[in-house]
Amino acid sequence: MATVVGDRIFINGNLQGDEDLTVHGRIKGTVNISKSLIVEPSGIVEAEVQVANAVVSGVVVGNITATDSVEILKGGRMVGDITAPRVILTDGALFRGGIDMGDVKADDSGLADARARAAASRRPGAPARVERPAPRPAAARPATRPSSPARPTPPRPAPPPAPRAAADVPSAPTGMGASAAGGGGPPAAPKPPSPPGGRRKKILLKRR
Amino acid sequence: MAAEGSGFIGKSITVRGTLRGESDLVVEGTVEGTIELRDQLLVQTGGRVSADVQVANLTVYGELTGSVAANAAVSINAGARVIGDISAPRVIIEDGARFKGRIEMEVPLPEGLGAPSGGGRGR
Amino acid sequence: MANANTIIGSSITIDGEITGEEDLVIQGTVKGKVSLKESLFVESSGTVEADIQVAAVEISGQVTGNVVASDKVELKSDGRMVGDIKAPRVLIADGAMFKGHIDMER
Repeated sequence: MATVVGDRIFINGNLQGDEDLTVHGRIKGTVNISKSLIVEPSGIVEAEVQVANAVVSGVVVGNITATDSVEILKGGRMVGDITAPRVILTDGALFRGGIDMGDVKADDSGLADARARAAASRRPGAPARVERPAPRPAAARPATRPSSPARPTPPRPAPPPAPRAAADVPSAPTGMGASAAGGGGPPAAPKPPSPPGGRRKKILLKRR
Repeated sequence: MAAEGSGFIGKSITVRGTLRGESDLVVEGTVEGTIELRDQLLVQTGGRVSADVQVANLTVYGELTGSVAANAAVSINAGARVIGDISAPRVIIEDGARFKGRIEMEVPLPEGLGAPSGGGRGR
Repeated sequence: MANANTIIGSSITIDGEITGEEDLVIQGTVKGKVSLKESLFVESSGTVEADIQVAAVEISGQVTGNVVASDKVELKSDGRMVGDIKAPRVLIADGAMFKGHIDMER
């Protein structure tokens, strides 16, 4: 079941529902759906948007808060703030605004999968890099750094407060280990140039 | 991987200060301060840059905190952690990257759209 | 079943105005105003609390509001409407419920 707004329709008001919404035309106001918003190339959404997912190939002016992901595809244009645990800006997308993925320094589950996804779709011309070992299944592992073992899964329905410039890192729920900025000003974050950094590489890969 | 003539900062090295150059720079260690390059900065996995960056191209697999001004493109790859404001004509954020900050690109809009300047929440 | 590009699905509620130049199918809820140059289809799950201005409208659901159509208004057997109709052609099927005024003057 899905709702489609054709390219000669203009909706001015508040739209809410529990199904996917595909927009070829124009919506102005607010959009609040529990599933996906798809803005097609001819679509224009001037609205405050709250969704599970958004995929933008058209124009969005307004803020998007998503519980899962926001993806701006090539040809998509957005002016506004995005608050979502996953944000993807494709080459050729145009964006102006803030992006808040929550706690940037937090280790997140699914990182290995995300890396594999990204590596599979990586465009030619990206600089060569040291390839990580193939992603291991996200089996339970002892936490290798002193952060909370019971971290909730990444999607955070409640977005953190509006992001400010550069240096705003919300502190992690528990102590995050040696070099995490833990709420302090990141530019001044201490960066020990020694083994913690090395250990960190493995940690970055694996946590669930 | 380092091209001839490019700079390389190994993972046990920490540099504090201003780094300027005509060649590319690959960072596997730690840099704090300012980086100004004519061409490319590559922050490898494990690399940590806490600096204002002015380059043509920036590619991040590691950590970067600071303001970024790039003439060509910025690519934040899966596994990267970036905090800061980015101004560039092309910005790519891969699935699995983590980013918090602002992005300033030129965004032409259809006529009649009242775009708030500087993005939604008024900055 | 209408074959239109625009379909407002049954779990959707819109509070506002819909305007356009193509056919529109409503299976959900619309409150406010609907103004189309083409046809409106309010399907049996659809609920419209709005003034409607269209070329034609076919109602199998529920409409509360006034309807002005340049061509025709058709209230199907499961349709229910409270409001005034102004249209050159009006069809009300057996079983439909209607309360309001009808003006067929051209």
